[in-house]
Amino acid sequence: MVEIQGVSKSFQKILKDGTTEVKALADVHLSIRENEFISIIGPSGCGKTTLLKIIDGLIPHDSGKILIGGKQVTAPGPDRAVVFQTFALLPWRTVLANVEFSLELRRVAKEERTSIARDYLKRVGLEDFELHYPHELSGGMQQRAGLARALAVNPLILLMDEPFGSVDAQTRQLLQEELLQLWQREQKTVIFITHSMDEAVYLSDRVVVMTPRPGRVAEILDVPLARPRIADDVRRDPKFVDLTNYIWDSLKKAMENGH
Amino acid sequence: MNSQFRINVISIVTLAILWEIAGRTLDSVLIPPLSQIGSAWLRLLISGKLLSNLVMSLGTLAAGFFLAVILGIIVGLLMGRFREVEHFLDLYINALMSAPMTAFVPVLILWFGLGVESRIAVVFLFAVFVIVINTMTGVKQVDRTFLEMARSFGAKETEVFYKIILPAAMPAIMAGVRLGMGRAVKGMVTAEMLLTLTGIGAMIMQYGSAFATDALFAVILTILIVAMITMKLVQLLDQRLTGWKAEIAIE
Repeated sequence: MVEIQGVSKSFQKILKDGTTEVKALADVHLSIRENEFISIIGPSGCGKTTLLKIIDGLIPHDSGKILIGGKQVTAPGPDRAVVFQTFALLPWRTVLANVEFSLELRRVAKEERTSIARDYLKRVGLEDFELHYPHELSGGMQQRAGLARALAVNPLILLMDEPFGSVDAQTRQLLQEELLQLWQREQKTVIFITHSMDEAVYLSDRVVVMTPRPGRVAEILDVPLARPRIADDVRRDPKFVDLTNYIWDSLKKAMENGH
Repeated sequence: MNSQFRINVISIVTLAILWEIAGRTLDSVLIPPLSQIGSAWLRLLISGKLLSNLVMSLGTLAAGFFLAVILGIIVGLLMGRFREVEHFLDLYINALMSAPMTAFVPVLILWFGLGVESRIAVVFLFAVFVIVINTMTGVKQVDRTFLEMARSFGAKETEVFYKIILPAAMPAIMAGVRLGMGRAVKGMVTAEMLLTLTGIGAMIMQYGSAFATDALFAVILTILIVAMITMKLVQLLDQRLTGWKAEIAIE
């Protein structure tokens, strides 16, 4: 489905004494299956978000290839949609108009886009808040709206950039469960960036551990937990505990090697 | 809101009473009592002199301000959007922003003569730079993730402009328009006093040199009221365009 073949990326950093090159990603290889839920975890600044933006086609990469369904990625496309860490809801639009935004850009007619947007707001449990403005909602509700906006265009691949990173712990667990239920119904490929080991293991089929900058794939781990996963049971499952511990060790090792 | 209005009224009434007392006890030529100013104002109003001059002044104000808003927003948008345009112009804009505009009046007389064009030019120059700078700042401060989000959902550059940059910058643009309105009124009176004696400005000069202080104050009060009304109009427009922002401010 998604083939990442030897992708590298450097940034020009402008300092007082001239520019230096910062290597963000070095030779990243990853192959993602259709309808797979895959998490990418790594220390801050390891280029996880950069990788996601490259997959989305928002920023160009220096070398290597990204293939989606065999076609090379050069720009954002209708087969992908992003859920942003900071929600990125437009404050001058109501929740409904925010969800319609993605459909507006895809030239969906007014009536159709309202009915699609309403449908997705219902699926994320926001049907009673469609005329509210984003600042009137809690962080968790705002991210539900962000998720509805991404789902509304019916993408094959959902790119999630630490989507629950800025909501409180309880809301985060609720959102994780809701996301899993949605994913099971919608059947989409999800690429999920996180720095929470718990979150990665609970949600994913596979967890990709990345090294510190320049980011590369340190390890790819299968999550041996049956679905559907009940949050409370899963978190007590020894396999869950073992795997999170293993990822923690792996991250520590990657960080030590990187310095 | 309600208590603010009440205090406003108390403030005005207090000032009016103090003024009346001062006028009656002190020199009534220098500080005419409010009642005398009021009757002078009525006299000017009935004779039609105040209204005809006011209409003339407001015409100049509207023309100059309209041009300043249109041009100021266009230039500000370009400067905010394109770094090259910004660096090409910001030197002059910043210099002119804080320069005393009255110094340009003789130049404008040379360029445009003594007619209405010169007065419109003065109003324009007074108002335009603050609109440019606020618009530019507004555009530059647009949250980058909004731009990224729009591009990610496939927005073309024109769509990014109309659907993200313009609405996001609107509060700053309207702040510039509000400040520009205040400066435009100053420009109007300045032009009518320094350029050609016409309109409201001419009345001020005329009554001032004739020591007709009651009529002079009547005209000045009229200017204050006009300034307040125009500011209120801009504020209403602002609320219409950026109501979402006002709601945030209340919270």
